[in-house]
Amino acid sequence: MPVNLANNIAGLNLKNPILGASGTFGYGTLYERFYDISVIGGFVTKALSLKPRAGNPAPRICEAPGGMLNAIGLQNIGIDRFVNQKLPKIKDKDLVIIANFFGETVDEYVEVASRLNEVDGVHGLEMNISCPNRNNEGLVFGASCQITEDVVKACRKVTNKPLFVKLSPNVADIAKFAKVCEDSGADGLSVINTLSGMAIDIRSRKPILANVMGGLSGPAIKPVAVRMVWQCYRAVKIPIFGIGGISCVEDVVEFILAGASAVQIGSMNFVEPEICKTLAEELPDLLESLGVSDYRELIGALDV
Amino acid sequence: MDCIVRVNEELGGDFFYLGLEPLEPIADIRPGRFFMVRCSQSADPFLRRPMSVADYKKDGSGFGLVVQTVGWGTSLLSTLVPWDRIDVIGPFGTNFEVPDGARSLWAVAGGSGVAPFLGLIDHAEGDVDHTVFLGARTSELLIYADRLKERGACVITATEDGSSGEHGLVTEPLVKKLDSGEKPDVIFTCGPTPMMRAVARIAEAHGIKCSVSLENRMACGFGACVGCVTKKRGEENYITVCSRGPVFDSFEVEI
Repeated sequence: MPVNLANNIAGLNLKNPILGASGTFGYGTLYERFYDISVIGGFVTKALSLKPRAGNPAPRICEAPGGMLNAIGLQNIGIDRFVNQKLPKIKDKDLVIIANFFGETVDEYVEVASRLNEVDGVHGLEMNISCPNRNNEGLVFGASCQITEDVVKACRKVTNKPLFVKLSPNVADIAKFAKVCEDSGADGLSVINTLSGMAIDIRSRKPILANVMGGLSGPAIKPVAVRMVWQCYRAVKIPIFGIGGISCVEDVVEFILAGASAVQIGSMNFVEPEICKTLAEELPDLLESLGVSDYRELIGALDV
Repeated sequence: MDCIVRVNEELGGDFFYLGLEPLEPIADIRPGRFFMVRCSQSADPFLRRPMSVADYKKDGSGFGLVVQTVGWGTSLLSTLVPWDRIDVIGPFGTNFEVPDGARSLWAVAGGSGVAPFLGLIDHAEGDVDHTVFLGARTSELLIYADRLKERGACVITATEDGSSGEHGLVTEPLVKKLDSGEKPDVIFTCGPTPMMRAVARIAEAHGIKCSVSLENRMACGFGACVGCVTKKRGEENYITVCSRGPVFDSFEVEI
């Protein structure tokens, strides 16, 4: 019995619900040394900004129990180099390419979004709203409902491509933010970004990360992510990409049951570079063993 | 790639040697390149550990790693026994490249930094003289001195407590040898960053080409996480140590 893995999510035609997550999949080309990336549903680029960005000093990463902390500082090659140098190498491949983007002001977000809107080969956009706002004392955009509303509405006006918003988990009530994004015109949500964290070297009494604080990812955050996907799923009608510590095919199904229409794989790409391919290959067998012929039956099918 | 553990040998101090046989030969193993080693099949520890290739067979059917037990991941590796399986990916990165026509090569190593020089000297081609400066805190942490001598290298040791070889830092015999008028065609260095920084400065002051092997914290090893960056000298932008290095010309990077 063939199992259906295909779905149209907010206008994106995915052959399967497995995507590489932003910040762990480079600009797509890197993983070609391990496998042909057209076997997965798609991937999300490293967060792009108007101009190239150098990022934070090292150390930028460290091990954490069941995961890792990172403080890369949004290093990226900038939208122009992405469009001119990286995208041509992968745009003819049969997979969905979503450009993750950010700005330091609302105007910058709008400019990047409108530029990406014109780019052939970028199928969808994902807004990273966990970036410090230069006009608001460096507080991240996604920490305030009002600013989230402003920036999502502003970007919505300049793009007709599917627009996803990647939510920060570092808020008291994520469902409220999900609703704000839906009401502001977002086509979908990506849930969740990394959890804010920190680690200390007790001998030197210094923070391990040069940036002091970083983002926690990996299996350690999976229960938090599953919970937040479920809360968002109950709050909105728009589709959700589930993200957070997925490391095996059972995790994929767990997120789908919680309400994810598809999932993004993050840090596990670093540990097992072929993980996205493996999950896409293993999912049909697991679904069959669960008596499911179309994965869409499981979206939000949590029995409470 | 799964490998079969053939040997797990204690080397003294916290060091041990893992001799591995991959299930299929691995291409392009070279001194200075590294593998990303999975320490556990669970999520604890989560990330692989980067480890420099020590000795290796030219056909890629076997290679060794010199490991120092420093944390949970490496202590799990220390418990491996022959016939256990271990999962590695790689090799990644740049290697120590002996310049064409070089006749005299000096290597300066601290601790497990000696690893790449085992393979380098095993597979040396042509008529090159090798001198290895080995430094450690104390004599039991001086590893592979005899093995390198057996392979024809001149080995000069230094310990900080004076328990073996010269008393002091490994850079002291290096400077002494240079001051006596000897000059190699190239210096390679691998070990703690302060040691490599000092070696690079000494080499530069004497106008000698020097290659350093950087060892930054990294998550993936193939350029995806952008965690292991260092600065190119004179530039504001960061480059990844894993894919642009780990072996760099000392002039290229800020150490």
